[in-house]
Amino acid sequence: MAVAKTPRRPAPLRILTAVPICDGHDSAVTTINLELARHGIEIIYLGYHQAVEAIARAAVQEDVNAVGLSSYNGGHIVFFREVVAALRRGGNGDIPVFGGGGGTITRADERAMRRQGTDRIFFAGTPLEEIVAAIRGYSRPARPNPRFRGDRVLARALTIAESGGRVPAVKRTGPGRSFVVGIAGPGGAGKSTLIDELTSRFLRHQPAGRIAILANDPSHPGSGGAILGDRVSAIYAQDDRVFFRSLATRGSLTGLSAAAPAAIELLRRSGEFDLILVESVGVGQESDPFRSFGGGQPLVDATLFVLAPHYGGLIQLQKIALLNGADYVALNKCDHPLAKVAKAEIQARLDQNGRDQRLHATTAAKHFDPGVDALFSALAQRADLAPAAGGERPCRLEVTP
Amino acid sequence: MSQLGKIADAVGTYNRFVAAEVDRARADAAYAAELRARWAGIRSAVGTTQSPSGTPLPRLALPDTDEPGAIAEYLLGQGLPGEFPYATAAYREMYLDTAARTGEEPMRLFAGLGLAEDTNARFKYLSRHQRSLRLSTAFDGPTLYGLDSDHAGVLGKIGEGGVAIDTVEDMGRLFAGFDLTRPDASVSMTMNAPAPVILAMFIAAAKRRFGPDRVASLRGTIQADMLKEVQAQNEVIFPVDASLRFLCDMVEWCVPNLPRWYPISISGYHIAEAGATPVQQAAFTLSNGFTYAGLLRDRGASVNQFGPRLSFFLDCGLDVEYLVLGRVCRRIWAIGMRDVFGADAKAQVLKLHTQTSGRSLIAAEFQNNLTRTAVELMLAYVNYTNSCHSNSADEPFTTPTERYALLASHGQSILLEESGLFRHTMNLFGGAPGLLALERQVESAILGVFREMDTLGGVIAAMEQRYQRSKIQESGHRLETQIYSGERPIIGLNKYVSHEPLPHVPLARTSPSKQRLQVERLRAFKRKHAKRAPDALQRLENVTRAGGNVFGELVTTVETCSLGQITACLTGVVGQFRPMV
Ligand code: B12
Ligand SMILES: Nc1nc2c(ncn2[C@@H]2O[C@H](COP(=O)(O)OP(=O)(O)OP(=O)(O)O)[C@@H](O)[C@H]2O)c(=O)[nH]1
Ligand SMILES: [Mg+2]
Repeated sequence: MAVAKTPRRPAPLRILTAVPICDGHDSAVTTINLELARHGIEIIYLGYHQAVEAIARAAVQEDVNAVGLSSYNGGHIVFFREVVAALRRGGNGDIPVFGGGGGTITRADERAMRRQGTDRIFFAGTPLEEIVAAIRGYSRPARPNPRFRGDRVLARALTIAESGGRVPAVKRTGPGRSFVVGIAGPGGAGKSTLIDELTSRFLRHQPAGRIAILANDPSHPGSGGAILGDRVSAIYAQDDRVFFRSLATRGSLTGLSAAAPAAIELLRRSGEFDLILVESVGVGQESDPFRSFGGGQPLVDATLFVLAPHYGGLIQLQKIALLNGADYVALNKCDHPLAKVAKAEIQARLDQNGRDQRLHATTAAKHFDPGVDALFSALAQRADLAPAAGGERPCRLEVTP
Repeated sequence: MSQLGKIADAVGTYNRFVAAEVDRARADAAYAAELRARWAGIRSAVGTTQSPSGTPLPRLALPDTDEPGAIAEYLLGQGLPGEFPYATAAYREMYLDTAARTGEEPMRLFAGLGLAEDTNARFKYLSRHQRSLRLSTAFDGPTLYGLDSDHAGVLGKIGEGGVAIDTVEDMGRLFAGFDLTRPDASVSMTMNAPAPVILAMFIAAAKRRFGPDRVASLRGTIQADMLKEVQAQNEVIFPVDASLRFLCDMVEWCVPNLPRWYPISISGYHIAEAGATPVQQAAFTLSNGFTYAGLLRDRGASVNQFGPRLSFFLDCGLDVEYLVLGRVCRRIWAIGMRDVFGADAKAQVLKLHTQTSGRSLIAAEFQNNLTRTAVELMLAYVNYTNSCHSNSADEPFTTPTERYALLASHGQSILLEESGLFRHTMNLFGGAPGLLALERQVESAILGVFREMDTLGGVIAAMEQRYQRSKIQESGHRLETQIYSGERPIIGLNKYVSHEPLPHVPLARTSPSKQRLQVERLRAFKRKHAKRAPDALQRLENVTRAGGNVFGELVTTVETCSLGQITACLTGVVGQFRPMV
C-alpha cells in the first residue's frame, strides 16, 4: 500500500469545535480551526447552530481530545453546563470542554462556568499562539478504557487504530449484518451529500437499524493537521442511530486513512450496523481505494462510484479505472445542464464493460430526489436490508475483557 | 458569460465612454461650449450659506474649473449629487441645515432585548428626541432561526442579543404606542430566513391595531437577504432555492400591497464583520444585489417596479477603503442597473444604510471604542449614506445598555448637528485626488472579483462551490493574524497597552423568569388556537406545494400559528438547508 514514508510523528490531537444552538457567529471558530490545523491539529468541525446533544454525540463518536465551543449569542453559562452534563451522563466526562466568546463571556461568567465543569475560557484579546499552546495541552495517549460505554468504546478502538496501536477487540453487540459500501469519486462530485441523502433513506427504511459512516478526508500535507468538515453538511447524521467518524488521511495516499481497513473491520465485527458507508477522499483516474482490483480481498462488499457532469470529456471518462470495477455508478448533479450529455456518455462507457452496471442519475443537493431513492433501493436490496419492525435497539458496545 | 461578467464589462465600457467624452470635450469646440454653458448654469444655481463664524460657503461644492475635459470628467464620471452615476450622492441635498429642520434624520439605531415590552421601552427611549420615527429591530437567536421559545435547548437564548418574538401578539406588544402609519415612521427589521413569517406578523398586528385599510401606509425595511446568510451570517433554514422562492414571493406581494416597504436589504455588513475585506464586502454585496434583480426579472417582475424597493446595507470600518466604498458601490450599481438591466433613474439609485463596524470595537480599554465609532461615522457620512447606525462602546460585551446607546446616538448628532462638516455644504470632500485614486483602485478590484465569480458560473454557482465563504474565512483569519502579530495596530490591544484588567461593564441580560414568561405566553397562544392552527398550517402546506404565493397565505397563517409551527410546516414541505463549512 502506498503510504508516504515520512518519519512517524505522534498522532495528531483531535479537537471538536462547534457554535451553540441559535448562534451563527462562526468567524472566531473558523479562524481558530484554520490556526489549529496549521499547527498540526485535526479539527472535527460540527458547524454553527448546534444543539447540546449533537455536540456530545459528535465528541463521543469522534473520540476527541477536547471540545471547543465558540458562543456569542448569550446563554453561554447554561449551554456550556449542558454540554458538560451531557458528556458526563454518557460516562464521557473525561472529555474537557473549553471555549470562548470574545467579550460576551465575562470573568464572572467564567468563574461560574468553571465551577460547572468548563475547563477553560479564552477571553477577548487572547493571542492565537496562546490558544494553540493551551490546546496542545489536551494531548493524551489513546488507551482502551473499561469504563467507557456505548459508541465511545468503538470510537476509542478507532482512535487506537488510527494512532497505529494494537487494536482492541470489540465485543459483538448487535445483530447487524454490516454490508459495507465503498464510495469513491472525484473531489466535489457530491459523495458526502449523497451519503447524507442515503442516510436519510436508511433511517426511514430501517426504523430500528443503525448505519455507520467513515468519512476520509485529506490531512494538510505540510502541517499534518486537518479540518474535517463533513459533519457540517451531514444533517441526517444528527441521530443516535448514525455513527459518523471522520478520518484524516495522515499521509496515506491510497484515498483512505491507513487505519481504514482496521476501522472497517471494527465496525463490521461490532455487529452494530446494518449498513456501513465508507467515503474515500476525492480520487482521480488510477486509484483503487477499496482494493477492488489486484485479486485480493476487497475492503468492502460493494463500491459506488460518484461523478459529476464536469469530468472533462469522453477521453477522461475512458481513463477512470474505477468505472470498470464499480458495482454502482451515480452521475450526480443531474440538475446541471451538462448532465444529459454526460448520462449518455457514461452509459456508453459502462456498456463497454459488459457488466450490466446500471447508471443512477442523482441530484443529491435536492431533498426527496427520486434518483437517490432508486439508488438507495438498489443498495438496500443488495445489502438485504429488510424493513425491520419498530423498536429502537439499544447500543451495548463494550470492550472485551 | 454570467450576468456578472456583463456588468463588469458594462462598467468598463462606461469608463471608456467617460474617457472618450473627456477627449471630445477637449477636441470638439461645440461640445466644449455646450458643457461650459451647462456648467455655468449649474454653478449659478448653487445657493450660498455661511458658517456660524461668518465664512460664506456654497451649499454644494463643485470642482473649481472651467476646463471642458474636467467638467465632462466630473459630470459623467462622478455625477452631481442625485445624478447618474451617483458617485457623489443618491440625492441632491443631504444632511444640510435646512433638511435638519424638516426632513428625516439619517440616524437609525438598532435595538432589541428581552421580551417585546422591554424592546418597546428601549424604542421609546431612543426615539424620544427624534423628529421622525425610525425604529430598527434586533431579534434574539431563537427567532432568527425560526424556532419557538419552547423549543428544546433554547431557553437560555431567549431575549439575548435581541427581542423574542413567537407570535403576532408579541409583535403587537413590540410596537405598542407607536403610530406606525405616520408618513415619517419607518421600521426596520433585521430578520432573514423567517422574514416572510415575521413580516406577515407585522402586517397582521398592524391590521389589528390600525385597521386593514391603513396597512398600505406601513413603511420600513426587512433584511431578508438570504444570499449573504448563506455566505456570512449563517441564518438559513430552508434550502437555497426554497429560501429564494419565499423571498421573491414576499417581494412580489409587497410591491403592490405595501408600496412604501423595502422588502429586502442587500447586506454587506455581515460579510465584512465575518472577516471580508472592504473590496470583498462590496463585490459580494453588489453581486448578490444583481442576482436578486435577475431572479425577480426572470420571474416576470418589472425592474422599474422592484428596483426602487431594493436597498443596501454596508459596514464601515477603519480601513482606508471605507472612505470611498459607498461611492464606488453606488456607481457600479447605477451602471449595472441602467446598462445591463435597462432600469430607469429611480431604479438605478443605490439607497444605503451604513453601520459602523462592530468588529473593530474591542474589549481592552473599551472606552476607545467611542473614538473608533466616531471616525467610522465620519467615513460613513463622507460616503453620503442615507441612514446610519452607530455602535455603542460596550459592543464587545453586551447588547448595548442605555448609557452607551445614548452616547452612540449623540455621536451622530455631534457630527451632523454640532460640527460644521456636513451642515453647510454638500460634497465638501468629493473629488479630492486621494479619493479619486482610491475610488479607481477599489472599483477595479471589485470588478476583478466579479470576473472571478463569473468564471465560476456566477454568484449562486460560486456560492455552491464555497467561493464566498472560503474567501471570507481566509480574510477573517488573516485579519486576526495581523492583529496578533502587531501588523495591524490596535490601540490598547497590541499597542500602547496599559494592562488594565477587563472592566466591569453593566450587562443587558434577560432573566430566567422573563424567559419562562415568554414560554408561558407562547403556550397560552398555542392553547388558544389549538383548534384552528392545524387547518391554517394545512392551507399553508397546500399553497407551498402548489407553487402559490406563500407570503399571501402567511398573512393569514400567523393569526393562529406561531413562528416555530410555521417553520416546521414549511420545512416539512421543502426540507432543511444543508450548511457548509
Ligand atoms: C462579528 C460579529 C457578528 C457577525 C458574525 C459573522 C460570523 N459569521 O461570525 C454578524 C454581523 C453576522 C453578527 C450578527 C449578529 N450578532 Co454579532 N457580533 C460580532 C462581533 C462584532 C465580533 C465577534 C467576533 O467574531 N470577533 C472576532 C473574534 C476572533 O475575536 P473575539 O470575539 O475577541 O474572540 C477571541 C477569544 O474569545 C477567542 N475565542 C472565541 N471563540 C472561541 C472558541 C474557541 C474554541 C477558542 C479556543 C477560542 C475562542 O478567540 C478570539 C481571539 O482571542 C461581536 C461584538 C464584538 N466586538 O465582539 C458581536 C456580538 C457578538 N453580536 C451580537 C449579536 C446580538 C448579534 C445578532 C444576534 C444581532 C441580531 N439580533 O441580529 C446577530 C446574530 C447572528 C447569528 N447568526 O447568530 C452581540 C451579542 C450580545 C450578547 N451576547 O449579549 C455582540 C456582542 C454585539 C452586541 N454588543 O450587540 N455579529
Ligand atoms: N448542483 C448540485 N450540487 C451538488 C449536488 N450534490 C452535491 N452538490 C454540491 O457540490 C459540492 C460538493 O459536494 P460534496 O458532497 O461535498 O462532494 P464530495 O464529493 O464529498 O467532495 P470531496 O469530499 O471534497 O471530494 C457541495 O457544494 C454540494 O452542495 C447536486 O446534485 N447538484
Ligand atoms: Mg466529501
